[in-house]
Parts: sequence; structure tokens; C-alpha cells
Amino acid sequence: MTTVERGTDRRRRTLAQLAASVLVVLVVLVAGTLAVDAAQTTGLASRNEAPTLGHWFGTDWLGRDVLARVLAGLRLSLVVGTSAAVLSALIALVLASAATVGGPRVDAVVGWLVDLFLALPHLVLLILLAFALGGGTEAVIVAVAVTHWPTLTRVLRGRAKEVVAADFVSVSAHLGRGRWWIARRHVTGHLAGQFLVGLVLLFPHAILHEAALSFLGLGVDPAEPSIGVLLAESMRYLSAGAWWLAVLPGLCLLVVVKAVDGIGENLRALLNPRSHHL
Amino acid sequence: MLVAKRWQQRLGVIGLRVRTRRWVAVALAAAALGAATACSTGDAVSGAKPTELRLAIGGEAEDGYDPTLGWGRYGNPLFQSTLLTRDADLKITNDLATGYSVSPDGLVWTVDIRSDATFSDGKPVTPGDVAYTFNTAATSGGLTDVTVLDQAVAVDEDTVELRLREPRSTFVNRLVSLGIVPEHAHGPGYARDPVGSGPFVLEQWDEGQQLIVRRNDDYYGGKPAFERVVFVFTDEDASLAAARSGQVDVAALPSALASTEMPGMTLHAIESVDNRGITFPYQPATGRTNADGEPIGDPVTSDVAVRRAINLAIDRQALVDGVLDGHGRPATGPVDGLPWYDPSTAVTGTDPDAAARLLDEAGWRDTDGDGVRERDGVRAEFTLLYLASDSLRQGLALAVADMLKPIGVAVTAKGESWEVIETRMHADAVLFGWGSHDPTEMYNLYHSGQAGIELYNPGYYGDPEVDAALDAGMAATDPAEATAHWKEAQRHFGPAADAAWAWLVNLDHTYFVDSCLDVGQEQVEPHGHGWPITWNITGWRWTC
Repeated sequence: MTTVERGTDRRRRTLAQLAASVLVVLVVLVAGTLAVDAAQTTGLASRNEAPTLGHWFGTDWLGRDVLARVLAGLRLSLVVGTSAAVLSALIALVLASAATVGGPRVDAVVGWLVDLFLALPHLVLLILLAFALGGGTEAVIVAVAVTHWPTLTRVLRGRAKEVVAADFVSVSAHLGRGRWWIARRHVTGHLAGQFLVGLVLLFPHAILHEAALSFLGLGVDPAEPSIGVLLAESMRYLSAGAWWLAVLPGLCLLVVVKAVDGIGENLRALLNPRSHHL
Repeated sequence: MLVAKRWQQRLGVIGLRVRTRRWVAVALAAAALGAATACSTGDAVSGAKPTELRLAIGGEAEDGYDPTLGWGRYGNPLFQSTLLTRDADLKITNDLATGYSVSPDGLVWTVDIRSDATFSDGKPVTPGDVAYTFNTAATSGGLTDVTVLDQAVAVDEDTVELRLREPRSTFVNRLVSLGIVPEHAHGPGYARDPVGSGPFVLEQWDEGQQLIVRRNDDYYGGKPAFERVVFVFTDEDASLAAARSGQVDVAALPSALASTEMPGMTLHAIESVDNRGITFPYQPATGRTNADGEPIGDPVTSDVAVRRAINLAIDRQALVDGVLDGHGRPATGPVDGLPWYDPSTAVTGTDPDAAARLLDEAGWRDTDGDGVRERDGVRAEFTLLYLASDSLRQGLALAVADMLKPIGVAVTAKGESWEVIETRMHADAVLFGWGSHDPTEMYNLYHSGQAGIELYNPGYYGDPEVDAALDAGMAATDPAEATAHWKEAQRHFGPAADAAWAWLVNLDHTYFVDSCLDVGQEQVEPHGHGWPITWNITGWRWTC
């Protein structure tokens, strides 16, 4: 009795948290889209002003409203994060499927690739890639996607192997079904849960890396209001006491990352209640 | 020369990018250096000021220090000396030369050379070296444009003749900027180990980190008060830190950092002709393209009323105060404050009402009430491109766009790379930075013959009267006559006439200088690069 009650509570709480996280992300998306114009509007008469009622987050060195810039930046982060996470998860899915159905040689190659990428310090690789691709939003997306597939690949590959070893798959094989048919009809469905959760959990990584690359000047166009760009710009004025330029965008980034992370964690709890580690 | 201008536009950014990745190493080097010198000179004990000067003013010449390849093209090559030089008022005075004359047809420049000058290896500077330098620079394809030179000939032991292909009044600037190299010691390794007759000799160059120079005790001019000068190459943040901790005596910092409190140092905001302005596509949009298929023309900015209105509506003082932190001056022409500037062409103040009237009269009216004017179905809107990585240009572009909204002109400011800007600059407005002590630049920006060549005259501006005045200025043999022609040209292309550009601001170059260091009178500095502040380094002194 008590166990059941606790279970229901947990499920309800998970759903509530999930809803709250999704709400935060949606609000940021909508507000960010509305703030794109305001984020670029200068006010030379009110530069570097501390937070007031008119400008909740203060203004920057050109008198632009920092709140508008933060919202527009978070929206950009979400767009970059989504693209990079989806790309990365797709790479992982393709490699994991190939490893499963392609025979031992392909499996060995994929295993070796995963080990190789896990062995390399991924931040260094990320910076090198973003630099080699010449910077810009696309470069960030590609660089993050290319460096973040190994863990998910490993998880998906393990799960796929488990499925392939199951009786119904060997029956299927004995009935003369081809490997690709089995991959499509039997394996993919079982990977959906892991895939979805892995995808969502890649998301905060992608957002943080976008901010890091932009901060280093290798990411999105410095004219775009991205959180990384905002933080990089704020460096100059920090010593003059303009704390709001760095603290508020940083906190907002934290909140959004936490929200997205919350979506992933709660989704996992819903889809795969027994798994605590991915 | 063409290449030179392209690099002039680009170098600042590239240099910055390269350096940001080096700055940690450089900061460490600077710190070590500071510690080392503090120990060795022991000035705190003796009370005497060190005879070594440390400057963080950028300007590393990545191609080395060979004047025939472009070193010193902004003047004051430090290791070499030039025939002529400019004083604090930019007036041309003798340096290696004792005098010069130009033949009546403007084709032969005869220069008399002083006989007491020696190179740092002890050999005398001869007319043969001068002729060799000019002939080498003319054929080297370097960044100093001496291509108008036909031949330089040493005619006797103290005279050299520079024979030109055509008269060129601005050739005098080559006499000011081309450092003389020794014929006997000039070769492939020269750029890294220069021998010259300038006030200092290169001692050590650690690329990307520092350059150490030692006083040339045989220098014929004033003897510098410092035995050694160290140029440390740091990025802005490292320069700021070095200045704050007293590790450098002079630090060049962007105007945004100039408001910082810096104990023991004084802010020197030096006037410059380092300007920022907007070039407008001058041709109507007819679908025309250039040889590379790049579009030419714009239906809005090709209307002179729009260009004049924009010039009237921009609040330049607000740009100076708001974007440059007050470290600059409003600019209304490309050569503000230079001897060939015509002040009568300046825009005085800001008058958005007059701008609106101009647009009304020209038929631009907001008939649909969306805040943007139209004429014959064309909306008064255009794109303003700027170099994305340059925060100052970004600030100017965004602020200008906001200033033009009230007069019903919609400007979309967009940051791009030079690669993209170069393909679109004939059909979109672009925010450029120029500024030179040489009026050739004005010729290049406004002469129709320069349209679309490299970064010159990007808007394909063309006006027969301007062309005639500029040609006459180039061909003049008398400086005063040339100046009259340069002024004439400004009256035709200026903001009240063709308004081919909307010039915005002249930057002040901001330096923090040790409060005990007297750097003498400052010169109006050109657009970026080199070490303009060192023009009179031989006269720098400690005052306390």
C-alpha cells in the first residue's frame, strides 16, 4: 500500500517537474523570439546602467537592454542546442545500428571509434573543430555534434546487442528475416527510449559548449546576442563594477540548462524507471 | 598598394585573433620580464629611473622590418631613417635629406643627402643606398607603393635623382615613409636583422612576444634618453594588466578601457585621422554586376537626397560620447584636421528635421504609416554591413541604424566577415575605417577610376568634377597647388553636395603613459598599425 502510494507520488512529482521544465523552455523560446529586436536596439543615453525597474537586468555598453539580450541569447542557445543534440544523437543511432547489424568487423570499428573519441579530451577537440570550421553558428553545431556521440553510441549499442540476443530475434532470423529487416522492425523500437533520453541529455551539454565556444570567440557571430558573447563582452566592464552584465546572463543560462536537464532526467524516470545511470 | 590597403583593413582583426591565443604565454613572459628588470635596474634603491623603456603598444610587423617590403609605411621605421619626416604639426621637414626640389614638369625629384649619417654597422649612408632602396621598393611588390618610380639614380656623392613615370604630388609621402636600407647589407635575411641609420638597432625579436631594441649611439639626430626599448606584444586585456601592475611604461588600450583608473599612469588620448564612415552604393540598382558577378547599385542610397539626409540626421557627437566613451571627435570628411582638409565642407550639428524635409521634397513619404518612407513602391531601407568581430564598428552601425529610424529610413545593421563584405560592398552600405597622412587615400576613395578596385571606392562613386580635381591634385608639382585641388574635390563630394559617404567619427588613440614619462608633443595619428606614438621617441624623457 505504502509503496504504491509513494510510487504514485513520485510519478506525479516527475510529471510536474517535467511540465515545469518544459514550461521554462517554452517561455524562453517565445520571449526570446519577441526580444530579438529589442536586443539590438541601442540607447546611447543610458549605457552600462545597473538593474532598474525599466531595465530589470540593466543595460550594456551600448545601452541595450540586457534582459532582452539574455532572452534572445537563450533562444539562440536552444536552437543551437537542439540542432547539435539531434545531429549528435543521429550519428550515435546510425553507428549503433551499424555495429549491431553490420557484423563483427563493423562492430569492432565502431567500438574502436567510440574508444578513440572518449580517449581524446573532447573540449580540446571541440575547440580545434570549431576553429577549423571557421567559427559561426553552423561550426558550433557541427563541432558539438561530432564530439558528443560516443557515450550515447555505447549505450545504444549495448541495448541493441541485448535485443539482438533475445529469443524472438533469433527466431526471426531463423525464419529467414534479413539483418536490416530485424534492425528496423525489432531493434529500433527498443532503442527509442534510450535514444530520446540520450538526446535530451545531450542538450544541456550542447548549450554549455555553445556558450563556451562563443565566449572564446570561436562560436557564433559576435554580433549575435548569444550568452557566450554576452559573457565575453561583460569581461571588459566587470572591473568597472558592472556585475549585472555577467551574473544575470550566467544565472539564466544555469536555469535553462537545469530546466532542460530536468526534462531529460524526468523523461528517463518515466520511460525507464529502473535505470538510474545512462 | 592595392594589396596594402586590403591588409590595412584586415590586419587589425587578424592580429587581434592570433594574439588572443597567445596572450597567456605573453602575459607570463611579460610578468617574468617585469620581474627580471625590476631586479636588475633596482631603481627603487638608487632613485634613478631605468634606462630601459617597456611599451605595450602592439604593432608587431609579422613580415619583419624591411622597408622595401612595407615596414614603416605608416612612417617612423625606428631602425631606419627616412629622407624627410613630419613634425608635430605634420609639416614635412628634412631628415636624411638636406633639401629637395622637383623639376617643373614634376618628373624628376632631386634630393640632397646629409653626409654625416652612418648605418649601425659604421658605414656611411650614400646616395647609392638611397637609389638602391627606392629601386628595390619599386620592384619588390611590397606594401609601400613606389610603382610610379621609373628609376632612382645617384648623381654625385650627396645627391640622388628620383625619376618618375608621371608627375605625382603625393610622392613626397614616399620620401617620408620609406626607410633607407644599406645596399651592402640588404638581402633575404634583412627583415629579421635590419641594419639602418635610425635611432635604434634591433637586438632581439621573439615573435609574438617581444622585440628588444638598443640605442644607436652613432645616430646623427637627437640622442634618445633610453638605452633599450622593449616592445611587448600583448592583447588588450594583458596590456591592461601589465599597465596596472607597473610592468610597462606605455600601454595602448581601446577607448572602452580608457576610463579605467590607473594609478601612476596618465591617459593620453591622441587625436587621429583613424576614421569610421559609411560608404553608400552610388549607382542605381539596374541589375548590373562587375567582372566577378558582384552586384552593383542600390535603389535607395543612389538618391542624393537620401545620402544628404543621412548625413544630416546622424548625431555624431552622440556616437563619440556613447560608442567611443568620449575618446574621439565627430568626422564629416575623410581627412578632418589634415592640412588639405576644407572645413567649409563639414556638417555642423544634427538636424533630423532638415533631413526629413529633404526626403519629403525628394518624394520619399511614409504613405502606409509603417514608419518607413517609400517612393514609387521602393521602401527607404538598406543594409549596413560591418566587420562582425569589431565591437566598435558594431556599436557604430547599430547606433546609426537607430538614429535613422526617426527620419523614416530603415537600416539593417549586419555583421559579416571581410570575405562576405567584399562581395556585397557595391550594393550594400558598408562601415569602413580609413585615415592616412597621404592624400592618395582620398584619391583612392573618391576617384571613379578606383571604383571597385580592392576596397577602394566600393560604392562606384563617380563625378567628373571630383575626378578632375583629384587628377589635378595628383599631377600638381607644388604642394600648395595640390592642397587647393584636394579642397576643391571635397566641396564636390562632401556631405552637402554628393554626400558619397557619411563619415561618422575620428577615433582618439588612447594610451596610458607613466606619469613620469614625458612623451613630448603628439602627432595626429593615422589609421592603426605601426608605432605612431614613437614618432618623437628620441625626445622622450623621465621627468621625475
